[in-house]
Amino acid sequence: MISLILLSPVFICLILFLIKNRELNTILINIYAIIHFICSICLCIGYNPRDIEQKIFQVDDLNKIFLMVLSLVFLAFAIYNSGYMKENKNLTRKLRHYAYAVLFFVLSMTGAILSSNLGIAWVFIEATTLASAYLIYFNKTKHSIEAAWKYVFICSIGIALAFVGIILLTIATGDLNSLYFSDLYNNASNFDSFWLKLSFVFILFGIGTKMGLAPVHFWLPDAHAQSPSSISALLSATLLNCAFLVILKVFKIMIIANCDGYARIMLFTMGFLSLFISAVFIYHINNYKRMLAYSSIENMGILVIGTALGGIGLFASIIHLIGHSFIKASFFMTSGNILKIYGTKKIKSVKGILSKDKKTGWLWIASLVGITAFPPSVLFISEFFIVKAMLQKEYYFMSIVFLLLLTIVLFGLLRAVFNMTASDNNEYKKVKLPCSMYIPQIVLLALSFIMGIYLPYIDNIKKAVIGF
Amino acid sequence: MENIFIILLGLTMLYIASTSRLLAHINMLVTQGILLFLICIFGLSDEAWFNLGIFGSLDKNFIHILGILFIIFETLVVKSFLIPLFLKKVLNKTHAHRDSSANIPHFYSLVISSIILFLGFMSVNLHFNTFHDVSPLFFGVSISIIIISLWLITIKRTVLSNVISFITMENGIFLLSLSVAKEMPIIVNLGVLLDIFIAVFILGMLVQEINSEFEDLEVSQLSDLKDYE
Repeated sequence: MISLILLSPVFICLILFLIKNRELNTILINIYAIIHFICSICLCIGYNPRDIEQKIFQVDDLNKIFLMVLSLVFLAFAIYNSGYMKENKNLTRKLRHYAYAVLFFVLSMTGAILSSNLGIAWVFIEATTLASAYLIYFNKTKHSIEAAWKYVFICSIGIALAFVGIILLTIATGDLNSLYFSDLYNNASNFDSFWLKLSFVFILFGIGTKMGLAPVHFWLPDAHAQSPSSISALLSATLLNCAFLVILKVFKIMIIANCDGYARIMLFTMGFLSLFISAVFIYHINNYKRMLAYSSIENMGILVIGTALGGIGLFASIIHLIGHSFIKASFFMTSGNILKIYGTKKIKSVKGILSKDKKTGWLWIASLVGITAFPPSVLFISEFFIVKAMLQKEYYFMSIVFLLLLTIVLFGLLRAVFNMTASDNNEYKKVKLPCSMYIPQIVLLALSFIMGIYLPYIDNIKKAVIGF
Repeated sequence: MENIFIILLGLTMLYIASTSRLLAHINMLVTQGILLFLICIFGLSDEAWFNLGIFGSLDKNFIHILGILFIIFETLVVKSFLIPLFLKKVLNKTHAHRDSSANIPHFYSLVISSIILFLGFMSVNLHFNTFHDVSPLFFGVSISIIIISLWLITIKRTVLSNVISFITMENGIFLLSLSVAKEMPIIVNLGVLLDIFIAVFILGMLVQEINSEFEDLEVSQLSDLKDYE
């Protein structure tokens, strides 16, 4: 199964290379999405017959969740993409390159999630940067070149520093000569704490660059705003999670090695800094895709804060991650609809979405309700639990700051979204978009709202956070 | 013997810091690749730091030869031939031969780089002498190469010299991984090599695109994307 999920993109690329057909590009992306989805379900229910790469790639309780989220979002992306790319007047060659890049991007994210070796995970995380560079650069404008340059350069340097961290970790491991997470966990109590702490700094900053944590988040708003909207959805809802998974796994080493107090302080700092920066920038934002990108930074901040709290906070983080991925993917896809209708990314130039295209308008509002954690959004539960965890640990001041920053973000988002949706009584010409540009968002939002009322597989999530 | 090469490697960084001709920077990349090769061959040929775990069932000599071939490929072919060749092509296409207006004059840049190198030597020799897993000279020089490269990235003005500093930083990381007397599995090494190679390739392509879209190759041109107007 794991071989199938990892090798099929290569074969699909080969087919694309041999048969040059315009329609085939989107069809094959859809086929891979379905293969990916079926394989992920099989892997999650434990069906995995005869696999060669058992050792390097493994499914465990934690990465199951990440894999399933990736798979669902990718499926939604594929459906949306077939509508989004339909009227694209680009050359067939360009669309083919787009398909190659998407396939390799998803392949490298899957590899990063499944790998049970820190070194291999690093290789795949760097590969995600390289595969998605073309996707960000896809529009070939002056701005997209700038965004792609910043993305590749900043992320490559960040990831290179993470590799320094991995080398320092090998010094910390002493006699152990392995980078498999299972070996690292088993021997973590004997690690040299000085080198381990030093390596955590490098790994957190390096992989944190990829995750979009402040103060190393600079590429994120540019890249998310300049890439095609479907790609922004994929970047925000899946790529950031992959980086988070690696940080989570390294954090577990710190816990076992008894250096977690130090790690928690760093996670708290970066988390609150992310919240602060997104609150400051969202307040005055003038580009709605950048606004969503800052909201991603905010949510990544919440994830690491939950992780740093541990216990119920971490449990909430995992729920938050699932909810955020679904809602943010839908939010970005809806922003793609708006971009198609209005042809601008400026908040001020967009007025009266509801009267121009009702479905897009309501999706835009529903996504806002989801991301700002109004019940029944699942994010309400996760943020509630995080605040509860803070109060349990008697971090009163921290919880006040947390809620205050969230409120500022909420205000910024609300203001922008309502300005865009509200009509100013002018008659608008109605616009019609293909229905594949609505269905994925509806499904993803429905899932996240249902999860807010009834959370299935709760035992699996509990199992995933054991040991933290 | 390898200590001389390591010191020479540190000195190449000083040369890069003090000159503004990009062609000289690229030549220094070639030198660094060759020096890294010599360091590997002289210092570590008998310590099988390249773990060929995936070929475990094969003959030992064969594994050794494979390892040496990999080293030759990594340092000589990729680091000192392919990457510089590609960069030279980019340089010829973009006609950006000089990085003349660095934020800090070259003399000060040289002084600061020397201080970083010196501090790298001193701190490691004073503190980590007793640590048996790390060789202090390797460690000190590689850390200073990484820091000098990061420093050069912040002060240089053209995008191409940023790419060159990125590669020197990767060379520093390569040296750091040699300083730990431990094996990285070859599959990780291969992945790292491939990633770096493609990263440089993509960055080079982007440099060409920047050259055709923007007025010149300065980093300061790349500041259109911002939140306020």
